[in-house]
Amino acid sequence: MSNEHTVKSYEEELRYLIDSVIKMGSLTESQLVDSMDAVIKVDKDSIDKIIKSDDEINKFRSKIDTQIMTLLVKRAPMAIDLRETISSLKISQDLERIGDLSKSNAKKVKPLPLDLPEELLGNLKRLGDLVIKQLNDVLDSYVNKNYDKAKEVWEKDEQVDDLTYIAMESVIDFLSKDKKNLDFSTHLIFATKNLERAGDHITNIAESICFLIKGEYLKGSRPKGKVIQQ
Amino acid sequence: MELMNEIKIKSKNLNVYYGEKQALFDVNLDLNEKEVTALIGPSGCGKSTFIRCINRMNDVIDICKVSGNIEIDGVEINDKNLDVVSLRERVGMVFQKPNPFPKSIYDNISYGPKIHGKGETKSELDEIVENSLKKAALWEEVKDRLDEPGTGLSGGQQQRLCIARAISVNPEVILMDEPCSALDPIATAKIEELIDELKKTYTIVIVTHSMAQAVRVSQKTGFFHLGKLIEVGKTEKIFKNPDNKMTQDYITGRFG
Ligand SMILES: Nc1ncnc2c1ncn2[C@@H]1O[C@H](COP(=O)(O)OP(=O)(O)OP(=O)(O)O)[C@@H](O)[C@H]1O
Ligand SMILES: [Mg+2]
Repeated sequence: MSNEHTVKSYEEELRYLIDSVIKMGSLTESQLVDSMDAVIKVDKDSIDKIIKSDDEINKFRSKIDTQIMTLLVKRAPMAIDLRETISSLKISQDLERIGDLSKSNAKKVKPLPLDLPEELLGNLKRLGDLVIKQLNDVLDSYVNKNYDKAKEVWEKDEQVDDLTYIAMESVIDFLSKDKKNLDFSTHLIFATKNLERAGDHITNIAESICFLIKGEYLKGSRPKGKVIQQ
Repeated sequence: MELMNEIKIKSKNLNVYYGEKQALFDVNLDLNEKEVTALIGPSGCGKSTFIRCINRMNDVIDICKVSGNIEIDGVEINDKNLDVVSLRERVGMVFQKPNPFPKSIYDNISYGPKIHGKGETKSELDEIVENSLKKAALWEEVKDRLDEPGTGLSGGQQQRLCIARAISVNPEVILMDEPCSALDPIATAKIEELIDELKKTYTIVIVTHSMAQAVRVSQKTGFFHLGKLIEVGKTEKIFKNPDNKMTQDYITGRFG
């Protein structure tokens, strides 16, 4: 926003809302990093901490909801302010869902054996790293109101789909080698799927940011990678 | 695709001067039939000046000079030979402050039809009065006291009386200059509901300082600034994502 509002407190309220979304975003990002770390290192000690951090993210979400409702009734925002308000609502919803998925992945670490095959972990890590990078980029595009960068994230979800496919294959491979692996393989399958879902929420956020900046939704359907049969 | 109504009023290169001072600059604006067009903009930007061109109310201001064209149904009205009385029969006006005549409610409504030669008999006039008050959503509130003075009504009722008066001569266009600015939210809501109903029959132009009101009542919005029409478009577009930065600054309260 270039010019300032004539009413200073309105300007401050909007700024405060945007700041809350940014803070919630960085909390969500570090939670995702931690949960990915826990999975790859099969680090069972960090699970509780990650589950706890989800509470904080949820608190942010309800704080943002309250701010938005107050803004709507007090200011009846128009044009860019209206889009700013609506996109905060949508982005915070997607962030909360990403938080839930990180939490769910952390919980899956408990039953995992400590000697998972290198290749499987490697594929899972590559997927996780990409999803983390996507979240980092999309938050960056939100902070800097960078349309092109948001659109890039949206397009890159195709790669998330592809890496999900590869990671999934190596889990299935592992599973088919020994029936005894069945138990924790299902956890790994869910964890992989959760990362893909987190990727979808990130593309939603990218869409919200594009709408926020230009006032119109991205046209056409997003490029799709290999689709995994449900 | 949404269908656009036909153009009812067309202004072409409209310029207005008060003495030396120019108040409107080359305004080109089309107003669609049976639609509500809202005009917004900071105080003194020329909104009232513009709508007064549509019924030639600027004629009564000595120093006011109008050049350019205003067409209604394709016919130029900015023409010396035009019969202004019959123009004002076709183009009614409602002002910011309700201004009923110091007469009975009945006479307030029947006055216009009488001078325009509509309603020869008492029963014809009765019918016009009843219909107009019904259309203005005031009939139920005043039907038992039609001979009481119009000035004795509440502000919101007076404004609806003025709207009833405007529609009593069966106009084609109704101009409203901040019709709700002196009204409470309930009275405002009633007028807005009424506008929604009236637009089925009439072409309506409303000047308003309330952005939310413009969004609620209009299909098209024009933004004026310093005598120029800066942006005009579908109301939804103007308030969600205007093209012009000045429009955005104005509607979001960033003007300075
Ligand atoms: N009768 C008049 N004599 C001289 N100047 C006038 C007259 N009426 C309007 N003006 C000038 O013309 C310009 C436009 O005025 P106008 O009343 O059309 O503005 P507006 O947009 O309706 O403002 P507001 O929102 O305050 O009603 C102003 O600069 C005003 O001072
Ligand atoms: Mg005015």
